[in-house]
Amino acid sequence: MWSELRDLTDAIDVGTPPRSGEMVSLTIDGQPVRVPRGSSVMLAAAKAGCGIPKLCATDSLEPFGSCRLCLVEVEGMRGYPASCTTLVAEGMTVRTESEVLSRIRKGVLELYLSDFPAGDIPDGWSEFHRALEQCGVDTHPYGDGTDHQQAPVDESNPYFLFDQAKCIVCNRCVRACEEIQGTFALTISGRGFDSKISAGQDQPFFESDCVSCGACVQTCPTQALVEKSLFPEGYARA
Amino acid sequence: MPNPIKPDCSVVTTCAYCGVGCNFKAETHEGRIVRMIPWKDGKANHGHSCIKGRFAFDYYNHPDRIRKPMIRDSIDEVWHEVTWEQAFEFAARRFRRIQTRYGRRAIGAVSSSRCTNEEIFLVQKLARAVFGNNNIDNCARICHSPTQFGLSATVGWGAASQHFDSILQADVIMVVGANPTEGHPVFGSLLKRRVRQGARLIVIDPRQTETVRSPHVAADVHLALRPGTNVAVLDSIAHVVVREKLYNEEFVRARCEWEEFEHWAELVGSDRYAPELIGPQAGLDPEDIRHAARLYASGPNSAIYYGLGVTEHSQGSTGVMCLGNLSLACGMLGREGVGVNPLRGQGNVQGGSCLGSWPHVFSGYRFVTDDEVRGSFEAEWGVTLDAEPGLRLPNMFDAALTGHFRGMFIMGEDPVQSDPNQDHTIAAMREMECVVVQDLFLNETAKYAHVFLPGSSSLEKDGTFTGAERRVNRVRKVVEPLAGLQDWEIVVKLMNAMGYPAHYDHAGQILDEIARLSPAYKGLSFELLDRVGSAQWPVDENAPEGTEVLHRERFPRANGRGTFMLTEYVPTRERATDQHPLLLTTGRILSQYNVGTQTRRTANSRWHSEDVLEVSAEDAAARGIKDGDVVWLSSRFGATQLRARLSRRVNPGTVYTTFHHAETRVNVVTSDLSDWATNCPEYKVTAVEVSLVKPAGVEAAGRGEARHEPAVSTGEPVSGREEAHA
Repeated sequence: MWSELRDLTDAIDVGTPPRSGEMVSLTIDGQPVRVPRGSSVMLAAAKAGCGIPKLCATDSLEPFGSCRLCLVEVEGMRGYPASCTTLVAEGMTVRTESEVLSRIRKGVLELYLSDFPAGDIPDGWSEFHRALEQCGVDTHPYGDGTDHQQAPVDESNPYFLFDQAKCIVCNRCVRACEEIQGTFALTISGRGFDSKISAGQDQPFFESDCVSCGACVQTCPTQALVEKSLFPEGYARA
Repeated sequence: MPNPIKPDCSVVTTCAYCGVGCNFKAETHEGRIVRMIPWKDGKANHGHSCIKGRFAFDYYNHPDRIRKPMIRDSIDEVWHEVTWEQAFEFAARRFRRIQTRYGRRAIGAVSSSRCTNEEIFLVQKLARAVFGNNNIDNCARICHSPTQFGLSATVGWGAASQHFDSILQADVIMVVGANPTEGHPVFGSLLKRRVRQGARLIVIDPRQTETVRSPHVAADVHLALRPGTNVAVLDSIAHVVVREKLYNEEFVRARCEWEEFEHWAELVGSDRYAPELIGPQAGLDPEDIRHAARLYASGPNSAIYYGLGVTEHSQGSTGVMCLGNLSLACGMLGREGVGVNPLRGQGNVQGGSCLGSWPHVFSGYRFVTDDEVRGSFEAEWGVTLDAEPGLRLPNMFDAALTGHFRGMFIMGEDPVQSDPNQDHTIAAMREMECVVVQDLFLNETAKYAHVFLPGSSSLEKDGTFTGAERRVNRVRKVVEPLAGLQDWEIVVKLMNAMGYPAHYDHAGQILDEIARLSPAYKGLSFELLDRVGSAQWPVDENAPEGTEVLHRERFPRANGRGTFMLTEYVPTRERATDQHPLLLTTGRILSQYNVGTQTRRTANSRWHSEDVLEVSAEDAAARGIKDGDVVWLSSRFGATQLRARLSRRVNPGTVYTTFHHAETRVNVVTSDLSDWATNCPEYKVTAVEVSLVKPAGVEAAGRGEARHEPAVSTGEPVSGREEAHA
């Protein structure tokens, strides 16, 4: 089911899980594309070769619509719907690039950047860094965030660590733990700026119900959850 | 350096742990493996992973890895490092000397399901073509040999009928003697997903496993049967199916042997298998048995998944036949969402079974006694082959003790730790004149070896694995072999040293030879696998890219029909007595893998640093045992010490432990009984007593060392059995 939609040689992420069903035709950035009914606009755009920037969407998880980066314009629809949670319809006309869209995406990313370790912005290679590059953002006009930058790093698990300072609370880890692994060990506790990823009853990962399958690490777009093996000298904040 | 290092190279390969067969992208940085990323296009795992495959790879570079071949004249001497040539020379000379003195059949070989298909095939070729006998066996003997026998007898092929994704079409899932969330975690996640989507779940297991109850998953029926009563309970389920006419007559008439069905229906339909009679024997509520039978039969799609809890019994083969019978009777074969599927423990148990590592069959399960089949191998290999089936692994040990068997080549296997009745195995090993062990580490068996050939891990070699769903997956070399040679090259060189002119340029040529000699693998090649990723056998002209679901139109038997085997329940001779009133059963835990050779050399041990004995609160209270106490676990075969954990997962009368740590020596305790048909040991039932170790003895009795008598005597002498290993 993957091979028809994905390049086998590289991990291309079409954003939402593939569906099967009768084919629907639509136009994206002037290009005609056909995808099964039930597919997202994001997936159709990926198939048409228009990569919409995204953070909370990945094709191994059901769409969630929290990051607000994948907004598009759809003819006849009000506002700027998220392409991951908007389903295709016959004859739909979609624009993935416009001045307004660029401005909105830039604004979203600047807000994320304002609460992200400044020293880690250059030279990164996470999905978040790719999105920054794609949208041409490398700085922000705000004061540095104070909500999570001093929070302790959870290094309790022998294999991976969790650095809240890099977490954008996109919920992908929580959803991977539920949908893919089925362990339900993670949740988001708190509201607003207080919200953060918690393992178990707000325990260190090692002491929680986590079974270390790695699904959360695999899906984390910012490398807030990351393999310790990638830090041969040990982990230190920028 | 705040940002992580970026891997500079990657290779897609297959995990060597359990039988799921997950594909991973092994990423390296400056020649060292830094992480394993689950591969989205892996058809078994679709980008998911478990703690073992994802993180526990560091064993490959562990300081304990042996990097030079070693020899010694006798097992009491220290090892000498030698060159590869000297090691091959030494082994070849000894093997030939034994054969000259004691006859051609005095040596044999054992391969392992941790090896690739190509290596397993070569080891059987070593035994048959070079040793000149059929003394070849593999570790599936001690786990899934009843699967091959029991499923072949009923549905024709001893293999899973489905691909894993088939479970997403199942309406009823029946898990028998398996614990997929710990033993086959990636498949366990898929199963749980299907249950969350609404599939009904039946679990038959003495223990309340995580599969029975976990967040958002609960079994509709959990038959927590007494260990050893599998066949009775499965027959009782069949009884309900027959008596309540829940079977699929149309399917049986169209696809099966009707007369055999009638014989079977008469047997299981007899009053002695009524749930009301079997229930009390098995410790079950008869209504639960009826409920399970009705659920399974009503489907519409019901799928059976089973594990070693079915096979490792004195009636292991019968248990497998029960499952074959049941699925045939209810018409649960031949389409998506149904089937009978063994969950295989090791990365390549299916391959180990398929590729002729058996004393009686060549690759593709074709008999060595068949002149035509043997002729085709003789033509390919250019030698005359022995027409007489060889010795099974337990028989090799028996023959060693009577002096008829003197030498053994053991690849990637640790029979001293993993085989039953350890003291017997050790005594047999001591009798041999030449034991050659090829492994990553100096394992328990290597203590009794004369030649040690340092093997390569799955990250250091090319080949294929066949997963539990018959999926043949590519294993690709990620880093250079630490000792310089890939495992298949070592076997080829040993063959050459013994005077047999084998030569392959690369492992793909061995797969080509397998394809020429094995019908189910006919269409397989490295080229095909590189193109399509993986393929489920049979791969041939009818199915050039493999077969996901077996038995769609016919069963692979002479008349194309499925058949029914008579499965009379014969209780095991191992039963609870006054002296040993509890029943021990064994299993696995998520973070460790089998005897732990690999995972114990990783941080996985932080989750499971020792094997513990799960005891019910009732049994513990009766013996004055508290949570965390060190206890003697003794049977009529031996005794060992471990820590007790009070647990609600086991019913009173049953105790449970894992077998991941050599020091626990659980196999000193397990019985020497085995499956009537295949010799698969009865690991799942041993009558035991548990008693508190006197507090003063806790320190003195170091684990895995010489021990004194149980502090609380069980009436059985046990110390004598310990001496050999002191």
